[in-house]
Amino acid sequence: MNAKKLTALAGVAVLALASAACGGDDEGGEGGAGKTLNVLIAANTQYPDEFAAWQKDISTKFKAATGAEVKFETFASANDELTKIQTSVVSGSGPDVYAVGTTFTPTAYSTGAFVKLGDEEWQKIGGKEKFNPATLGISGPDEQNQVGIPWVSRPFVMAYNTDMLKAAGIDKPATTWDELGQQAKQMTKGDEYGLAIAYKDNFDPWKFVWGMSVQAGNPLVDGKTAKLQDPTVQKAYDTYFGWLTRDKVVDPASVGWTNPQAVAAFAKGKTGYFMLTTTTATNSLDQGAVKGKWKFALLPTVPPGATSRPSNGVEAASILSGDNLLVADYSKNKDLAFEYVKLVTDQEVQLDYYKKFGNLPANAAALQTLSSDPQLGPVTEAAKKSVATPFTGAWGDIQLALTNVAVQSLPDLGKGSISTQQIDSRIADAQKSAQTALDRAK
Amino acid sequence: MTTLVRPPASSEAKKEQRRRGVTERQRPLWLLTPGGLLMVVVILIPLVLALWISLIDLDQYTLRRWVEAPFIGLDNFVESFSSGLLNSIWISVSFAVLSTIATVPIGIAAALVTQNKYRGRGLVRAVFLIPYVLPSFVVATVWRTMLQPDGVVNAWLSKVGIEGGLWLTGPRSYWALILVEIWAAWPFIYLMALAALQSVDHEVHEASAVDGAPWWPKLRRVILPYLRGPVLLACLLATLNHINNFTLPFVLFGAPAPEDVNVMPMIVYVTSFQSLRFGLSAAMAVLSLVLIAIPLFIYLRAVRLDVHEEGGRR
Repeated sequence: MNAKKLTALAGVAVLALASAACGGDDEGGEGGAGKTLNVLIAANTQYPDEFAAWQKDISTKFKAATGAEVKFETFASANDELTKIQTSVVSGSGPDVYAVGTTFTPTAYSTGAFVKLGDEEWQKIGGKEKFNPATLGISGPDEQNQVGIPWVSRPFVMAYNTDMLKAAGIDKPATTWDELGQQAKQMTKGDEYGLAIAYKDNFDPWKFVWGMSVQAGNPLVDGKTAKLQDPTVQKAYDTYFGWLTRDKVVDPASVGWTNPQAVAAFAKGKTGYFMLTTTTATNSLDQGAVKGKWKFALLPTVPPGATSRPSNGVEAASILSGDNLLVADYSKNKDLAFEYVKLVTDQEVQLDYYKKFGNLPANAAALQTLSSDPQLGPVTEAAKKSVATPFTGAWGDIQLALTNVAVQSLPDLGKGSISTQQIDSRIADAQKSAQTALDRAK
Repeated sequence: MTTLVRPPASSEAKKEQRRRGVTERQRPLWLLTPGGLLMVVVILIPLVLALWISLIDLDQYTLRRWVEAPFIGLDNFVESFSSGLLNSIWISVSFAVLSTIATVPIGIAAALVTQNKYRGRGLVRAVFLIPYVLPSFVVATVWRTMLQPDGVVNAWLSKVGIEGGLWLTGPRSYWALILVEIWAAWPFIYLMALAALQSVDHEVHEASAVDGAPWWPKLRRVILPYLRGPVLLACLLATLNHINNFTLPFVLFGAPAPEDVNVMPMIVYVTSFQSLRFGLSAAMAVLSLVLIAIPLFIYLRAVRLDVHEEGGRR
């Protein structure tokens, strides 16, 4: 039955072991000539042609600089990537460089299969200083144990409908969650709603809860202790669900929405704010009725129920979001790998990548050139004010537990009300699984 | 008058004995080696590995040196029970059995409808196969879109005065899963039933016609008994397919899934690929295998599923 899936994985591992035993080294001629660097990178389904062209361009540049070839291998989903990492880690052979999402970096780190970056390695790629300091926040558990090299940022911001805000007499977007709720109420009438929220998304809910809690001074993980059963977390869920059940400032149908559906709803031009989006949504928004009538803004950074951040609160405008580059420990081409990393994190290449795909540069100088763009101003600011989620191998489980609270609450949201007891008991479950995961963390 | 000459019995028997000796003792069994090797590599080794993984503490921390991962005996199995596996097995099995029970009459009815020749029968047969040939991913995506709170299904329901509500979360999600599974899976029963109908001898139809049997007794007492073997086999295969279906719940509900549709493949997937507890998920998979194998074995014994023997007896 289900054993099939696992046995298949195990089978792959065995085969990979066998092929690793048979496989030879990639040693070639002098310098990089004759060598091939394998890079694993997420497939870009939005701009496949441009992505292929970009790969070709990078290959040419890399060949000119080192004499070696770059071979790109793409994965379609996070699951594909994980499977690839697993088999490579087990077999000790596979891609030399991995592009890994920021929240997945702690998990990748915990496998111990990637090169830890010392001074020498940082020098090879042009120094730590070349990166936006915030992006280094999730490179490793501490300064001495970094594995992730920031490549691109996708900070989260909110988009707002300029016409609707103006019509409601609001002169600037909200900077506190309470203010946001208030403005949303002002804009909700008839078929117009204050907020577009993707309640059924598999990732969005935990980002809200994490953000509000961190702003209130609770980073959710304190060493080896999970702090989910906390008034800050409860208040966060209460606010998040309250927009639907109490304030009624979101479309009731949003109980079934994932993020792309919320984008589509906002694009129709009948919603004041679209919470939690990135620059990659720009094209979708410009194709809708909202074209020319929307702007990005920083997400509120003052926790719900407060008018200013408490002294231990953090000004977290977004989770530290984007991709890191990791060099595999088993790689026979580590020098080439760092050459590649240096190339794709250079200012010019980073700006080009932004223009083609909308991912912000991790390169500080490149990011600076974009901050003068009025449309991008808030986004570059969010990139600088991004805060890393806790660096622990248990984070995957914690994030899952936080999302699960929202998933299991959807039926109640659908009925239009959820009690504090219901929220509390689901948070208690989440706390339990988060603590179990932390107890196992090594 | 002719006299029957008795053939020399002794020499004939000797010949037969020798022939039997050749076929039984000197069968070239070594010819099975490639197939056997393949079975070992594709089925046996992975199964043994899964058993082994279920006994060790394999997660993202130990993955790199998985051979040295600590041996923890049955701890993973014990933990499986407290991680909601039993509930998932119950959901999976009930969902699979209900889906099978619902698809059988539909499948058989469809087979009967396309049994006799008429104009456009080929087209009807082709149309019947559409749900079956569509990839599970596509079926799930389309249904997910239709079952949205503001989707087509609720729009239709509201036209006839029924409040639709949420189909993809909460208790209703279970019925949504069954509904979509039925839609996608009935053609399998239809195919098996149709194959069985086609194999009913022409004489049987003629004999019933000669006896003047009306259609219902003919169907119930003459035709349906022919379908028993193949349809029981189809039930078994279909139930196993339902239990194994991962794509449908995953695409319909996403992970983490609502508790009501946290079927076995989902819980194993989440444990394995989101919590990265490979040891625990292997134990879950092994337990599910055993727990499902037992009723399966009983079922097989009870229905004595041997299509050929049944056919031969008739």
